[in-house]
Amino acid sequence: MLSPANSARGKLLSQYVCVRVIRMDDVDVNLFEYDRNNPLYFFLMNADEQIYARYGGRDSAAVDSYLNLDSLELALAKGLELHGQWRKGEWKSATPRPAPRFPREYPLLVQRTFAQGQCVECHLIGDYQNIHRQLDGTLDKRKHLWRSPDFKVIGITLDIPKGLVVKQAAGEAAAAGLMAGDVIRSWNGARVWTFADAQYAHDMLDRAAREVKVVVERGGAEREITIQLPLRWWLTDVRWRQSSVDPRVYFDDRPLTEAEKRERNLPAESFASMVRRVADMARLMKTHELAVGDVIVAVNGVDRDPDANTAELYLRLRTKPGDTVQLDVLRGGERIKVPLRSLQMSFRK
Amino acid sequence: MSHLSRAFAALAVFPLMMGAQDSDGIHWLTSYREALKEAKATGKPIFLEYRCEP
Repeated sequence: MLSPANSARGKLLSQYVCVRVIRMDDVDVNLFEYDRNNPLYFFLMNADEQIYARYGGRDSAAVDSYLNLDSLELALAKGLELHGQWRKGEWKSATPRPAPRFPREYPLLVQRTFAQGQCVECHLIGDYQNIHRQLDGTLDKRKHLWRSPDFKVIGITLDIPKGLVVKQAAGEAAAAGLMAGDVIRSWNGARVWTFADAQYAHDMLDRAAREVKVVVERGGAEREITIQLPLRWWLTDVRWRQSSVDPRVYFDDRPLTEAEKRERNLPAESFASMVRRVADMARLMKTHELAVGDVIVAVNGVDRDPDANTAELYLRLRTKPGDTVQLDVLRGGERIKVPLRSLQMSFRK
Repeated sequence: MSHLSRAFAALAVFPLMMGAQDSDGIHWLTSYREALKEAKATGKPIFLEYRCEP
């Protein structure tokens, strides 16, 4: 019993109408938009369907990296404060309500779930939204498939029980002036009260963005800083999202270091990468004959891309499932050609 | 979803028993529409949980 009614958390919860939704059939997916690979996600809101704050968020390591009972308490208290302001006419939603959209409006999702009497699972909504985006040409893999960008990529480590209090600043965040103890108050112009708020605001950035303006509270005063975003700030390990990123290429790689590129006379800006794992499926399906230790230096003669730092990422971003490409590979001192055929995930066929 | 059980453990503050008042004394609704009605009637805010149960 982690939140008995007479505990601080229980008292906070008792001031809310609590509702748990486990079927997504009738959810307005535009109003309640979030990375569907969060198996738990929360909204603090009012009866007019205006959202005060979110709670949840994740990283690649785990779904619960940012879930914490103390930070939940902070969120619940903030929600009550904002609700009090709203009732007095002192709070307004900063964003207009999006046009409603429901799972039944995605025909392929209907075929996969409703028509077969199956549950509309959260992740299926995300998957089928992306399938429809792919069909209508609006899919941006960097934005729609690489979701939940990681704050640690830009040097921000949060004191998780305290919500948006910075525990440690490094890298780009430190260079921008962020300091331990700062409290993040807005992200790219959006007021943020929880990690989920901030991560969602970060996720909404255009993937070509090269900076983000952040307001922090320090010593009782707010100040704005501008954090320069590194290339591929949105890139996270998505291997756990087995149903998300087509095409399937059945190998993992890592970028070569600058020194490794110099040793091999490869351009510094190339996406040359070393194969570190080959999936059994590659042999079973005869999709390629790459081996661990191979260095891929080009794909169909292309050796660089502004968004890709490895050949695998280039393949995922720039090729289609079913394409056959020629890889230029360094193996045993020789430069050889290795054909690779990618596949489409079966549920998308 | 291999981390799901960890998430459930972390969020055990929200028991899985649905509908009726749970052992913590917190009443959880299961209908979003009902929650809107109750929030309108009581003036309370809403704490909405989406939980993906495989």
